[in-house]
Order: sequence, then C-alpha cells, then structure tokens
Amino acid sequence: MVIFWIFAVIAMVGLAGYAGQVAAVIKTVRAGSKGTVAGTPPGQAPEEDFCPPISILKPLKGLDDNLFDNLESFCLQDYPAYEIIFSIQDHDDPVCRIVRKIRAKYPHREISILIEKCGDGLNPKVNNLIPAVRAARYEHVLISDSNVLVGRDYLRAVASPMKDDRVGLVSSLIRGVRGRTLGSVFENLHLNSFIAGSVCLLDRFLHMPCVIGKSMLMRKGDLEEIGGMQAVKDFLAEDYIIGKRMHDSGRRVVLSNYAISNVNEYWGLKKFINRHTRWGKLRWKIGGVKYLSELAGNAVFISFLPLLLSGFSAMTASLAIGVSAVKMAGDYYLGRRLDTGMNPLLYLFVPVKDIVIGCIWFVPLLSSSVVWRGNRYVIGDNSLLAPYPESGLWTLSTRVFNALRTREA
Amino acid sequence: MLLCDFHIHTTYSDGAVGLRRTVDLFGQAGFDVIAITDHVVNGDNPLGKLAHRFRYSVTSDNFYRYMDHVKEEAERAWDKYGMLIIPGVEISKNHLTADQSAHILLLDIKDFIPACWSYEEIFLTAREQEALIIACHPHYMSDMSRDTLFLWNNRAKYARHIDAWEIANRDDVFNVVSLEKYPHVANSDFHRPRHLYSWKTLLNCEKNILSVKQCIKHNKGVAITLFRKSEEMKW
Repeated sequence: MVIFWIFAVIAMVGLAGYAGQVAAVIKTVRAGSKGTVAGTPPGQAPEEDFCPPISILKPLKGLDDNLFDNLESFCLQDYPAYEIIFSIQDHDDPVCRIVRKIRAKYPHREISILIEKCGDGLNPKVNNLIPAVRAARYEHVLISDSNVLVGRDYLRAVASPMKDDRVGLVSSLIRGVRGRTLGSVFENLHLNSFIAGSVCLLDRFLHMPCVIGKSMLMRKGDLEEIGGMQAVKDFLAEDYIIGKRMHDSGRRVVLSNYAISNVNEYWGLKKFINRHTRWGKLRWKIGGVKYLSELAGNAVFISFLPLLLSGFSAMTASLAIGVSAVKMAGDYYLGRRLDTGMNPLLYLFVPVKDIVIGCIWFVPLLSSSVVWRGNRYVIGDNSLLAPYPESGLWTLSTRVFNALRTREA
Repeated sequence: MLLCDFHIHTTYSDGAVGLRRTVDLFGQAGFDVIAITDHVVNGDNPLGKLAHRFRYSVTSDNFYRYMDHVKEEAERAWDKYGMLIIPGVEISKNHLTADQSAHILLLDIKDFIPACWSYEEIFLTAREQEALIIACHPHYMSDMSRDTLFLWNNRAKYARHIDAWEIANRDDVFNVVSLEKYPHVANSDFHRPRHLYSWKTLLNCEKNILSVKQCIKHNKGVAITLFRKSEEMKW
C-alpha cells in the first residue's frame, strides 16, 4: 500500500509537470515569439515584415523520409532574397542526386551544392556546417536540418524577431508529422508532447534557452563572436551550446511560434530507441541531476510501476489507466494545437511509447558512449565528445558487450 | 548515370503500398527511372486461383484501369521529380515447385497478356507490343519460398527471347547470370518501403523509354549498385 501511494503521488506530480508543459505550448502558440508582434496567429508572419537576405545552410547526409519535398519547400519561400547552400561531405552520397534535381527544377533560385570533406571536429553535422558557414554570402544564416518541411511563410516568420538587434538566435517549435510505422508514430508522439512541451516550458516559464538545431537563425557576426562553428565542433549537442553561449553573451534567444514539421514516416522502432537513447545521454550530461526529474515527469511510466511491484489490483490498475487516459487526452489536445494531422486512434499508443521512453531513461545512467560512423565516442560534460579510450575498464566492458552481441547474432 | 528500378509492386497486386505513395517514395529518394510491374498471375492452378481470389493479380478486367493509373502517375512524377515511369507487368507463372515456376517482367507493355499462355505465346506477343522482356530472380534466393528456376533451367531454349536477366534482386546476387554473360539489370522487387534500399541499376542513356529499353537490350552503359540509407551516419 505504501508503495502504491508513493508512486501515485509521484505520478500526480508528473501530471502537474505535464500540465505545465501543455500550458507552455499553448502560451507559445497563442502569444507568438517573444520579440514579435504579440498575438500573431501560428504560422502567419507579422504585419510588419523584416526581410534581410538570408543564407540557408542545409547540412545533408544520406536520405530522409520525404527528402525531396523537404528540400523543395525551401525553394518555394515567399521571401525577397535568400540563397540555399546544400552542404555534403561525400560525392557518392545518395543525397547528391536529389539536390542536383532540385537545383535543375529551380534554376532561378540561388542554390549552391557544396561538397567538401571536413574533418575538423568530432561532430559530423558541425563538420558539414563549417564549410557552409564559410561559403554563406549573407549576414543572416539559417541552419536547417534535412528532415524539416516548412510552409512558404517560414522565412518571413523566423526573420521577423531579428529586427530587434538584441535578438541573437531564433529557433522554432517542432512538430512530428506523417508517421506510417510504429517507430514513426512513437517519434511523432514524443516530439509533439515531451520535446515540444519541454522546449516551451523552459522558454516560457523558466526563461532558459533550449535550442533544437532543426531551425536556427543567427547573424554571422554573432556566431563568430561566440567562437563560430569551430567552437562547437566537438560537442554532440552543438545546438544547445550555441544557444547557451548566445544567451550568455547577452543576446536574446527567441523561440518562434512558427511550427516547423519534422517528417518521420518510415522509422523502425530501433531508430526511435537509438535517437532517444542518444538524446537522453545528452540531457544527462548537460542537465546532471535535473535529468532525474524526467523520470518523475513520465507519469505513465511511474503509474505502471505499482502494477509491476505490487501486482494487479483495482487500485493499481485504476492508477495506470487513469494516468494513461489523462496523458492520451493531453497529447491529443497538444497534437490538435500543433496541427499535426495525426489520426486520433494513434494516441492509443501514448502509454506504450511512454513506457518505452521510461525504460530508455535508465540507459544514460549506465553508458555514456555513442557510436558515429563506426567510431565510438565518450560524451563528457555539456556533451563534449572525446574518442573512446583504447585501454582500461571501459574498453573491457565494451569488448564483452560486443562479443556477446556478436555471439547472439 | 540514371538510377533505375524496373521491378516494383503496388497494391494492384501484392505490394503493401499504393501506387501514388510508391511513386512518391522513389521520387523523394531521387530515382530517375522506375517501372511499375504488378503481378499478372496464371489462374490455371489452385495457387493462381487464390491470387485472383484475393486480388493479388492484375487481370484482364482491371488491366486498362491499372495502365491508365500508371500513366497518370507517370505524368505527375515527370512534372514533380523529373522521374520517368515505365508501365509494365510481372507475368507470374506460379507452380508448386520452383523448377516449374517463372516470373517475367514485361516493360512498356500496351495490352493485356495472360500469364496462363505458353512461354512462346507470351514472348511473341510481348515482342509484337515492343515490350522489353526481363527474366526475374532466375536462380536460388535467400528467401527460398520465392524461387523461380524454370527459365534458368531452360535457358538454352528461351534465352534468345529474353532481353535481360536480373543479376540481382533485392538482397540477392545471381553470379550465374554473369558467368553466362547475359545482359543484366538489378532490381528491388519492391513490395514494402524497406525494399527501397536494395540492388539497383544505373544506366548511361537518355531519360526516355526508348533509350532505356535500347540501353538494357544492348547492355552497354549498364552498372549495378547497392542503394543504402546509411542510417548510422545520421545525426
């Protein structure tokens, strides 16, 4: 009985935190970006336009769901002057074929394809961006991931807050759309509840910059002042570090209310688990003990623990079902507010997804390494990457793990 | 070089993805030429009858609707992605044993050809329609349930009718085709989204149906490539 009440109280605290996230998303969507005209409806540019020329930097690697449309959406912007730089590391990358097609389809657009191998840092995305920033012609640079789909008014909406000289960086609200497989549905559900909620909560109520690199608009001068891309080349969470340094340098970091779509259509469960394990490791290394609050905030996971520990009873089942129902209803509401277009029946997967996320939560406490391009790295403070040590106890544990995995295969 | 896949199924037969979404999947991935080749299954044995019953086959009844839909999608794909779509079918002679079974791709087909006809009739009629004839997965595959060995076992008799042989199908490579020095192509045998990442053909020719057919037939400027997503490299 004691166990039940302990977890019931934690679950209620988690639901209260979740309510805060929902409120933060609503506030963000309703109020508009800080620094923009208040009351601007989501997805609409403010009346008073500020349209400086922009260099859009697209670091590309391999294929994404909906890649052609994603990249094409940046060629269709209703914006006076901008260039697009597709930055690629290898000539044999399959993405080369797509960007060439896009450039051929939009000959009137300023589109450059930059293929340059850069091995300056340990973060491959930053390595991809270093030559792109160098090649950018305009003062305003927008870093945008390949899996992002935007509307025609996107550039106007994100450029608007830059009218204020005090603003150093504009990032955007993210919504996951178009899941067709279980992994994609999980990913989109998580983006639209936990990720969107946490970003808005930090921004609106705690006034902490939390930048996600899918859309970052900055001035080149400001970026150079905080050390440029070179300064973040060895950080796994380069977006968070850029946002933090921008904030620490006295510039404002603005979260635009313009929701960009992150198209995830055909993800497998493995990809979902891998991404959130990696992101969990980042948050553990960046947030430290604050990471513990994430587990308490996962009300669904907590509410199922009494079922596991005390066995099935009317009380334990009621708690799990009740909390799950509230969470499903909340996520459905958030999905509607963010205009994700998700089938309402898919929200039935919310409890399963939250339980999977609850299990993933423990992994960062046990492992702080990631594998990228076949190389293993250790994540340090603030997500600073270091090559995995070739000797010592860690290597032994990895060898044992790999040997077991090979044996299973 | 044109990135091509000449062996693709949709929900017109046993594919899991509808025609429009299939076209978008290939278009979004940057393909230059694809062929939609839904099954036309022989209805002269219980296996074939089952396929007809569960609508896993294009039939004489819906063939022209199928072709019209493919042509409609071909126009859209050309405008949107600059991707060429060739209408086709996969004549599927399914029998209980692999030795008796054979699958044949007919690309740029114009009229319906029943799969229960004799091989000679099928080849002759396809030739009259100026269709390209490709022998599919002619040798043993990793998924043994799909083996179709008839054409390979009878190659001495039928090779002269066949314009090209699949040297690779999805994840399998048939080195015997190379040993016989037959004209070759590599395809995905696409049924579901994950099959997009598989063996493909690269052609060095103009992007139009006639040039593509000539290029495959003469087998000059033809290469094969393993098309992969490189998931582990993403951030």
